[in-house]
Amino acid sequence: MSDLIQASARDLSGPLIELTDVKTHFKTARGLVRAVDGVSFTLERGKSLGIVGESGSGKTVLSRSIMGLLPPKAAVRHGSIKFEGREILGLSRSQMRGIWGSEMAMIFQDPMTSLNPVMKIGRQIAEPLRIHLNMARSDAWATAERLLTDVRIPEAARRLNQYPHELSGGMRQRVMIAIALACGPTVLFADEPTTALDVTVQAQILDLLGEQRRDRNMSLILVTHDLGVVAGHTDEIAVMYGGKLVEKAPTRSLFANMKMPYTEALLQSIPKLTDPSHTRLSVINGRPPDLVNPPVGCRFAARCLYTQQRCREEEPPLVVTPEDPEHSYACWYPVGSPAYFEAKARIPSNSTVEVL
Amino acid sequence: MRYFLQRFSQFLIVFFLVTFGVMVLMRAGLNAPGDPARTMLGGTASQQQIDTITARYHLDSNILGQYWFWLKGMVWEGDFGYSVQQNLSVVDYMRPTILTTLFLGVYSLVWALIIAVPLAVYQAYKRDSFLDKSGNFFSFFFISVPALVFAPFIIYIFVTKLDWFPRIGEKIYPWDDLGAHFKNFFLPVVVLAVPLSAIFVRLLRADMVATLQSDFITLASAKGVPPGRTLWTHALRNSLFSLLTSVGVNLGGLVGGALIVEQYFNMKGMGFLLVSTILSKDLFVVQSLSAILVATVVLANLGIDLMYAVIDPRIRHARALS
Repeated sequence: MSDLIQASARDLSGPLIELTDVKTHFKTARGLVRAVDGVSFTLERGKSLGIVGESGSGKTVLSRSIMGLLPPKAAVRHGSIKFEGREILGLSRSQMRGIWGSEMAMIFQDPMTSLNPVMKIGRQIAEPLRIHLNMARSDAWATAERLLTDVRIPEAARRLNQYPHELSGGMRQRVMIAIALACGPTVLFADEPTTALDVTVQAQILDLLGEQRRDRNMSLILVTHDLGVVAGHTDEIAVMYGGKLVEKAPTRSLFANMKMPYTEALLQSIPKLTDPSHTRLSVINGRPPDLVNPPVGCRFAARCLYTQQRCREEEPPLVVTPEDPEHSYACWYPVGSPAYFEAKARIPSNSTVEVL
Repeated sequence: MRYFLQRFSQFLIVFFLVTFGVMVLMRAGLNAPGDPARTMLGGTASQQQIDTITARYHLDSNILGQYWFWLKGMVWEGDFGYSVQQNLSVVDYMRPTILTTLFLGVYSLVWALIIAVPLAVYQAYKRDSFLDKSGNFFSFFFISVPALVFAPFIIYIFVTKLDWFPRIGEKIYPWDDLGAHFKNFFLPVVVLAVPLSAIFVRLLRADMVATLQSDFITLASAKGVPPGRTLWTHALRNSLFSLLTSVGVNLGGLVGGALIVEQYFNMKGMGFLLVSTILSKDLFVVQSLSAILVATVVLANLGIDLMYAVIDPRIRHARALS
């Protein structure tokens, strides 16, 4: 019965996920930590979005806020999160449980700790099938085997009877993907899915995610600190800093025409293969802002190379670029503006090295 | 298998060391050094009696020889020796006390677990709630109250005031009268089980709280697994190690150290018998009781060691490799 109500309330024409001024604050002994502080965006059905930012930018909390997987007591939540047109921000954990695993699924960062060490792989994959699809044990087991084959695990039948410690990190992450895909979710959250893996395995996992997303017409939210990871794998990129969205654009538009100095700094911090060896790595000086007492003005101002007086006094709003209506950014003196070049001219070219 | 053999040889070494140590200590404390038979029989015994016992149990050989014949008699012939003072074989003398201790120990352990496990799981689930905090308070309280205080308090309320239970614990076996048997064992089991469960609750709650913060628990939620199933299938099995270890450590106390409870409730268990025979220098009884105590505790811990492997496939894996 409740399934029917859910189905009738679904809006299949609108955006899949719509966030309006989402805030997630945590009560701590130090005060209220504004981990996510007013984020709005929409994600279309079947599209993939990369959420990029450094540690502490709020990207993981944002993805868990959308899914509702937060410790219920500590978190204070505001705003609106609509999933298929339905408000899900106020829903209780038991109400969300019908969506978790079946409509929304998540892959965690560390495959070493994300699988239950004392439960066979097969049971862990079969579990959501049995809960959401009421599958019989044998059917669920057969489906689990097929899922393992889908995520390119050889000898799937044998693997079902193995425990996580018998598999390598890359294999375990494939198992995680198989669990996430089990019930055919509408959207998949991948929280740093490759950070804990070897570089050679990273690409395989990302390709697998992209391929499964296309095959299943699933939306993907890929959370990462690495602009390089999202570059080839997502339709859109959202850059977060200090709990806020500072730039969002279709991937091509972002790389062609980035506006936010923070995005630029993130891109420059990726080491290039063509650099001669022993090239000093480019870093962003300073630390992310204190989210208990966030600075007035632009939150990146203290670390930005092009800061002006205005940046420290007024917070820049998210504005749309003239070139692309889907490209928005929050900066008073964006990359490419006259003020930006003026500021750049004043900085010695090797300033980052000097500060170090 | 190699692992098991290693553990079993450890068991044998501990067993030999303890039983031999007990024998040496008992001999050292004799009134008439070098003459165990005379000590056991007391001053009024005739020379003929002394000679019979000395010959039967080779008490004239050196200490290693005595130990060897005692072990051999126990293992090969089931002859644990003779309580001269009671004019009974040690086996017959010990049997009722072993049964009493067995019932007391098993009931207490089972009840302690029945109380502790659901409470600890619930407290960990509702961490920092009012119920969790009161649970913490009470477990702390019962760990701190010694049986010396707890037992008379319970007797005062339930026996003296309410008269719900008999004061004198008669030896009623379950096969004689089940109702009377449980009635008889109820209070002593309460006195033993409650503080034990308090320890168990604290250990299991702490482990559960840690487990509930692991990634795979969040994954279980993200899969849509309901909280009950998350707690009992995913979290509990990963949190049992401290509890199991503690069961093993506390077994010795349950078997040999239930002395205060046995005294208060007049239940003649192994602890009771051990103390009285140490005082009366009934050598064979002391030696046999210590042997049984050591064997029970060490074997139980060996069993718990095997349980770790049942619970955690990683331990199974590591042991198979060693």
